Amino acid sequence: MKRLRIARCGTQLLAPSAPRRPSCPCTAAFQRNSTPHNHRRSLTVQATAQLPDGETRHDIAASEELSEEPLKRAHSQARRHPPEALPSPHPRSAKQSAKLAALRSRLSLPSRFPLETLARTLVHPSADPDPAFNNASLSSLGSSLLSYYTTEHLFCNYPRLPIDIVFAAQYAYIGPKALATIASEWGIEAAAHPGGEVDPGLLQFLRLRSGEQLPPALRRRTPYKWNLTKTHRILVSDEFGSTSAEPNPEDLAKKPVPLEEAAQSFVRALVGSLHLHLGSPLVKRFFRDHFLSRQLDLASLFDFRHPTRDLSRLCAREGFEAPVARLISESGRLSRHPVFVVGVYSGKDKLGEGAGSSLDEARVRAAAAALKAWYLYKPLDVTVPSSTEGGVGAEAWKPNMIDCGEVIV
Amino acid sequence: MSLQTPIQTASRRALTSLTQTRHASTTRRHTKLQRLPAAPSYTGATTTTSSSPQPTLIYNPPSSAPSVYHTPAKFLPDSDTRKRLYTSALTTHTLTSLGTKTSPIAAVGTALSAPSYPLPKPSSKLPPAVRGVYEKKYHLGQKEVEEIRRLREEDPEVWTREKLAERFGCSQFFVGMVAKNAMKAERVEGVHAGMRERWGSRRRMAREDRVRRRGLWGRDV
Repeated sequence: MKRLRIARCGTQLLAPSAPRRPSCPCTAAFQRNSTPHNHRRSLTVQATAQLPDGETRHDIAASEELSEEPLKRAHSQARRHPPEALPSPHPRSAKQSAKLAALRSRLSLPSRFPLETLARTLVHPSADPDPAFNNASLSSLGSSLLSYYTTEHLFCNYPRLPIDIVFAAQYAYIGPKALATIASEWGIEAAAHPGGEVDPGLLQFLRLRSGEQLPPALRRRTPYKWNLTKTHRILVSDEFGSTSAEPNPEDLAKKPVPLEEAAQSFVRALVGSLHLHLGSPLVKRFFRDHFLSRQLDLASLFDFRHPTRDLSRLCAREGFEAPVARLISESGRLSRHPVFVVGVYSGKDKLGEGAGSSLDEARVRAAAAALKAWYLYKPLDVTVPSSTEGGVGAEAWKPNMIDCGEVIV
Repeated sequence: MSLQTPIQTASRRALTSLTQTRHASTTRRHTKLQRLPAAPSYTGATTTTSSSPQPTLIYNPPSSAPSVYHTPAKFLPDSDTRKRLYTSALTTHTLTSLGTKTSPIAAVGTALSAPSYPLPKPSSKLPPAVRGVYEKKYHLGQKEVEEIRRLREEDPEVWTREKLAERFGCSQFFVGMVAKNAMKAERVEGVHAGMRERWGSRRRMAREDRVRRRGLWGRDV
C-alpha cells in the first residue's frame, strides 16, 4: 500500500510562497503567522504555472493585498482581467457564493474553514492546470489520508481478513465510485463548462462529451509490472491493489474527463484541506461520519471456489479436528423442493451452518459460512494507531491482534 | 339436544342454515393432537426449578442461519474474553438443563433443538454425518504405488481408478494423483465432448445454469 507522506504533501501546501509572489491572496492572509517550510519546493511548483497571456496569475494575485484597499483594487483588476479570461473562478468570488456557504453548513464544517479553500477543492486539474489553483495537491493528500484511515480501520477491526477482501473493501469504502456517490449525496453539482465567471460552488471540470474517448492518461495506464504478484500488489500498488498507477494530474490538464474522476478528486481534496485547516481529530470525525458510516457487508465480498477444501486446510493448520458435515434437519427429501440444513462440526463444536436444496449444496454453503466466520473475526476492543496521534490517548493503546494470514492451498 | 326422528330432521334442514357449529365438548376432542407442550425456549428456566418464579429474559429469535459475524467459540483466539465467557455460560447451562426436564420434541436433531434458550439437554449425540467419515490411513508405501502405476499402465480399461481404489483401499483421487493416464483421460474427454455436441439448446442451457448456480454456493450464505 502507498506510504503516507503527509508532511511532504502538507509542506508544499502550507508553505507561504516567496514574499513578492504569494500563490493565493487568501493563503497569505491565513498563514501570516506560520513559519516558512520549504521555499525551494513551493517555488518550483509555482514556476510551472503560467497563464496563456504570458502574465502569471500570481502577479495578479500578488498585486492585490487583502489588507489595503481591496475593493478599489479588485475593481481595477476586474477591469483589466475579466473573469471570463480566468480558467476557474477567482478566490475572491468564493465569499459571494451562496452555494459554497450552503455546502459548508450542510457538511457541518466550522466557519473557520475558509470558503476560498472549499472553492479550490472544487477545481479539477482538467479545468485549471495551475497547481496553485486546482485541487491536485490537496487531492493527493486527501487520498493518502483516506486510505490510511480505511486501512487501519479494516486491519484493526478484522485482523484475519484476506488481502483480496481488504482491497475490495477499500474500493467499496473509498473507491472512485464510492467517492462520486458521496459527492452526489452531498449535493455537489457540476458546472456545464469551467470558467472564471462560473459560480465557484459548482464542480469545475472539463466535461467528457458523450461518444468522446477518454483521455490517454485514463485510457492507457501502464502497469507497474508485467508479472504482477500479490506481494507486489501489497507492497507497491495503491490501497485498492490496482495493477496500474493513478494518472498524473498534470496529464489531465485541459483534457475532458468523466464526472466520476472530478467528483472523486473533490472529495479527496476536501479531506486533505480539512486536515490542513482543522487538524486530524476533526478529519477523523468527518471520516467516521461520512465514510465509515456507509454500510458495507463484508461477508458478501467473499467468493470461495473450494470452501470444503479450504476449511479442512484451515482446521489442519490450526490444529482443530477435521471438519465433518452433519445433517441438522431436512424437509421434503423426496419432493421437488427439498431443504437440507447442514452444519460443519469440528469435534463437538459447530463451525458453520448452511441450507440448500441438495446435501452437497448445503454442505458447501456450510463450509463457506464457517470460513467466513473465521475470516470475519472481530476483536472486542480495538484501538487504531491514529487514535494515539500526538501522544493523546497513548495510555489507552492496546496492541492489535495480528493474524498469521489466510489459508493457502 | 333432544332426540329427533329422521323425518323431523329432514323437515328442519330446509329452515335452518347449514353452518356447522362446534362446541367445547367436541373441539377439545379434535384439537387434542395439536396441543403440544410449550417449547422449552418459551418457558423460563427459573420458573420450573424454583418455587418462586423470578422474572426471566426469554430470547427466542426466529429460526434462521446463524450470522457469520458471530465467531464460533472454537475460532476465537485465546486472548479473547468471549472464549472464557462462552465456556462459563456453557457450564452454567449444562448444570441448569441437567436439573430440568426437557421436552422430547426439543431433543437434539429436531427442529426445536436449534438455537434457543435454554438449550436442550447436552448430549454426546451429534447429528448424523452427511457422508461417511473417513480417516486417512497413509498405509500405501512406495511398493504399492509402483504396483498401482504398473497395473494402470498395463490396461487402463480394466484397471480403472475405481477398481484400483477398491483394491488398495485408498481414494480414487489418490489413484489419479499417483497414476495419471493422459491418453485415457484424453479419450474419455473426447467421448464426453462428443456427447455434449449432441445436446440440444434446452439441455445445454440447463447444464450451464447448473454450473453457474454451483458457483454461487461459495459466494453467499
